[in-house]
Amino acid sequence: MRAERYAGQVSTGSRLSTSVLLTCAAIGVATGVVSAGAGAVSGVVSAAVPVLYGLVLGVHVLPGVIAQVLLRMPWVALISHLLAALVASAFVPPWIGRYIGTAILIGGLQELIAATGRYRRWETWRYFVSAVIVGVVLAVPIALVADLGRFEPWAQVVYIAMFIVGPVAWSAAAVAIGEALRRTGVGRTARRR
Amino acid sequence: MVRADSERSAAAAAGPAPGAPLARLRQVAITHDEAHVATPASVTFDVSPGEVVLVLGPSGSGKSTLALALNGLIPHAFPASIAGTVSIDGVDTTEATVASLSTHVGMVFQDPDAQLVTGTLLDEVAFGPENLKLPVADVLARAETALRRVGLWERRTENPDRLSGGGRQRLAIACALAMGSPLLVLDEPTANLDPRGIDEVYAALGDLVAAGDRAVVLVEHNLDAAIGFVDRVLVLDAAGRLIADGPVDDILRHRADELHRLGVWLPHSALAALRLRAAGYRLDPLPLTPAELQDALETAPARAIPRPVARAVDDRRGQDPVVTVRGLDLRRGRTDVLHDVDLDVRRGEFVAVVGANGAGKTTLVQAIAGVIRPPRGTVHVGGEDISRVDPRRLSSRIGFVFQNPEHQFISHTVFDELAHGLRRANLDESQVRRRVDELLERFGLADKADAHPFLLSGGQKRRLSVGTALVAGAPVLALDEPTFGQDRARADELLRLLADLRDDGTTILVVTHDMQLVAEHADRTIVVDAGRIAADGPTSEVFSDDALIERAGLRMPPLRRALRGLSSHPELDGVARLADLPGGAT
Amino acid sequence: MTEPLTIPQAQTTPVPVDPYAALRPASPIRFLYGINPLAKLLAPLPAMALLVFVRDITTPLVFVALTYIVLLVGVSFTRRLTALLLLVPVAAVVMGLGFAIWTDSSGVDHSIVLWQIGGWTMYGGAMLVGLATGARVAAIVSLALIVGLSTTGPDLVRASVQQLRVPYRIGYTALAAFRFVPRFGYELDVIRQAHRVRGSHGGRGPIAALRRWVGYIVPLLAGAIRHAERVALAMDARAFGAYPDRTERHLVPFRTRDVVFIVVFLAVSAAVFAATFPWVLA
Ligand SMILES: Nc1ncnc2c1ncn2[C@@H]1O[C@H](COP(=O)(O)OP(=O)(O)OP(=O)(O)O)[C@@H](O)[C@H]1O
Ligand SMILES: Nc1ncnc2c1ncn2[C@@H]1O[C@H](COP(=O)(O)OP(=O)(O)OP(=O)(O)O)[C@@H](O)[C@H]1O
Ligand SMILES: [Mg+2]
Ligand SMILES: [Mg+2]
Repeated sequence: MRAERYAGQVSTGSRLSTSVLLTCAAIGVATGVVSAGAGAVSGVVSAAVPVLYGLVLGVHVLPGVIAQVLLRMPWVALISHLLAALVASAFVPPWIGRYIGTAILIGGLQELIAATGRYRRWETWRYFVSAVIVGVVLAVPIALVADLGRFEPWAQVVYIAMFIVGPVAWSAAAVAIGEALRRTGVGRTARRR
Repeated sequence: MVRADSERSAAAAAGPAPGAPLARLRQVAITHDEAHVATPASVTFDVSPGEVVLVLGPSGSGKSTLALALNGLIPHAFPASIAGTVSIDGVDTTEATVASLSTHVGMVFQDPDAQLVTGTLLDEVAFGPENLKLPVADVLARAETALRRVGLWERRTENPDRLSGGGRQRLAIACALAMGSPLLVLDEPTANLDPRGIDEVYAALGDLVAAGDRAVVLVEHNLDAAIGFVDRVLVLDAAGRLIADGPVDDILRHRADELHRLGVWLPHSALAALRLRAAGYRLDPLPLTPAELQDALETAPARAIPRPVARAVDDRRGQDPVVTVRGLDLRRGRTDVLHDVDLDVRRGEFVAVVGANGAGKTTLVQAIAGVIRPPRGTVHVGGEDISRVDPRRLSSRIGFVFQNPEHQFISHTVFDELAHGLRRANLDESQVRRRVDELLERFGLADKADAHPFLLSGGQKRRLSVGTALVAGAPVLALDEPTFGQDRARADELLRLLADLRDDGTTILVVTHDMQLVAEHADRTIVVDAGRIAADGPTSEVFSDDALIERAGLRMPPLRRALRGLSSHPELDGVARLADLPGGAT
Repeated sequence: MTEPLTIPQAQTTPVPVDPYAALRPASPIRFLYGINPLAKLLAPLPAMALLVFVRDITTPLVFVALTYIVLLVGVSFTRRLTALLLLVPVAAVVMGLGFAIWTDSSGVDHSIVLWQIGGWTMYGGAMLVGLATGARVAAIVSLALIVGLSTTGPDLVRASVQQLRVPYRIGYTALAAFRFVPRFGYELDVIRQAHRVRGSHGGRGPIAALRRWVGYIVPLLAGAIRHAERVALAMDARAFGAYPDRTERHLVPFRTRDVVFIVVFLAVSAAVFAATFPWVLA
């Protein structure tokens, strides 16, 4: 058993193959289209109906969840987020810091949740748990910036609720997309090891 | 799958023993994960330094798979398992890493875009040597040598995006050269390039081969370009077994009939010669290039064969235009792509649209098909202004087949894909089922009805995409590069299908780079050059204008090149189509 | 990967933004280009983090002003710079108004009434709270512009590899992925056209549009991943990842001037925060 493990590590050098990395990059870049759209409306939303901001911000869970559903491997969520952020910052350099921060935050949380299943259990509910946690973690600093305490009480409730509903709804979409991608037969090269 | 110990690969990197083969394959069988049979099934051969080996075989016989095995991508990076042994410079590929093998075997793939990593030509070529941790001075020296060999050194600071398709493929060759590997493996390096780009790539390859310092393994469907410098041919049959291995002469000249039956491409001159032989011409040995065919014919004894009757003008073809284009100007992004295009296509015509890469062919047929919306009043199909047709009804006016079939699939099964158009037309489900079953039968997809369209083979995807464009019963069908990457049998099958459709009255527009296809099938040819119609007329007339063909970056169809100006066989002079040669169907 | 037919057009449209293009300083005074990307990324971070907790309007405005000075001196004067510098305050004011409307009016100063619509009153206090939020966002955004306007993606990637020890395989994957952007954009165009021609999900209105977009996602991603797999093979075939490190021809050094930049930036930030403490609205 131990020898077998060792052999496995030697063969891959305990590292991710190039096709895993590039598949993550592809997921990151393609979902970047959606995030770019979200970015475009987020200004409007946060000015006009700030309470719905969470709904928009939720799209940022997409790359990690799609990567995990498709590849079911350690690190893929974080790497998809990171690569998406690096690529996005090349095209919209002013937001470099923001992209990278969000990527590390959301990707890292998604990794942590998957790690609790030791990267062997991939039940769908896990994605929703991580969505809720992501929502809470995002809501706190943003609420501080937006000075949420000054909002009408009902608005505060809606605001926080949207930060939960947004990521959960987008996670559901991401799970559906990931499953559909599996049916098309892509990702087999990357999934191999 | 065990990493080679570094000593072994270091020893191997020191170079082969003189006379030892660069690559040695013994009973190699490769099975893709999730496949049931091995393709290739059993392949044994050696490649020696300086050799140029052409690999032929029908589509799906495992040529690309074999190419991936030559530098260890199979089994190390690609989901497939391998039986038998592949050794490179004496090292079993399963025992070495892809990285160490890359210094022995350089790869060039089909899609130039999928081989670019960095932002300038120089960085691109340096990428491999940098991965090998060579000192900066060596990296630069190698990059310079490689770029000079393919004639791109002057453009080293540019973004590879700015190169033409042929240029990018030459860059890919330079990248492979910079790895310093004595063996170069190329998998269909010219698919999808225009004739000039193909010439560029083969000129670069020709120089390389002439220098004699690299062995080359080439997988290619387009033999007319490649045949000039190939030493040896390997042939796989449909089941992936190696059925022939020998010098070009032995295989292509002596076993041409057999290869033809296998469905692989032969040089067009050889195809023509086979036909002529059947008609009693003495052509021995079998000519492989237009020049050889011409020479052989000049010396062959004259025969009293009457000049074949030119195909009678098709009277099914009506005189009324189905497609009219008037004063069409089109911008895409910031470029003016089409300038003042006028055009008529009559019912039942088979029209070819040709031109260099980027000339605007795709844009033109897309505007005709309403894929991109032309300005009002410029394009009429069946009397209707296409820019005003509701997108939902567009598919019943004109069908469009995209270059990449995957782009147009929208359902999860083959059946639904075909049924989509019918359901939209509100047919009831039993009718839908009947029509779809009919089509599935016709396109040989009946056993794939429940498969996901993305999981079909390339040829099957292409047929399905034609089916989806047809199902709504459009009287006009436009296809973008329908035969590229197909083997001869598949291409023939598709063209037969188009001919049948045409016989049923469908008007057909085809964009293609294959000049022989144009000569064979098109009644009329439209030459697009830098967004303008440079010529529009009966195919034979268009190809009789040398200056025009040259200017538009095109080439004569090979058969025409061979038979033009023939002094000894007046009955063959100027024949451009295989079908017009004496000798009947081969 | 080896299916014969699925190669999209060999040509994609030219990239509108060349993510690889180097930024060239016009004159030595444009010092920001010469600073290591990581220094520019990290130096403003503490200020940005602390700004989150700031409630007054002076502190963020001071930061906006300081950042504007740094930018006007440090980077070349371009139309893009002008546009951004104008856009940030405008957006901040708009956003401030928006936030003012949503502010709970019971907790604010009622001494000034700006306007009244029916039973709803906009108090000066609420407006001030809103504008403070706008200014806060503007400060955070403009601090981010320091690195954003003077750094290219590839340099940031190289700096992360060279100084932060981000595995170079990830960094170079990002470099390769810059090419995906125009390519996927082009593919998305083609997919949209193809679906339109097939008459899928016609109709107007947001629901139909949404259904259309949903239909594009899977083909786009599937095509993207296939492409990525091909690129991965091409990179492996060129010894990508052969060794734990690789020759680096483009060095992005971390020099004394970067340390000086960080130290000065932190010192000035600290000074501002100290001067404006306790950061609450008057
Ligand atoms: N990723 C894959 N997964 C499963 N089967 C595959 C995969 N790629 C190829 N195959 C199958 O392996 C066989 C050999 O494919 P390969 O691409 O090597 O053929 P080829 O000779 O290169 O064909 P072509 O001339 O069309 O390029 C085919 O039957 C193909 O369907
Ligand atoms: N969406 C687009 N935006 C901007 N420019 C475009 C777009 N599509 C095509 N072009 C440009 O229009 C010109 C014509 O392109 P088109 O695809 O019609 O050429 P083509 O003749 O089909 O070439 P190929 O043989 O390579 O397929 C090219 O220069 C191309 O760069
Ligand atoms: Mg192939
Ligand atoms: Mg085209």
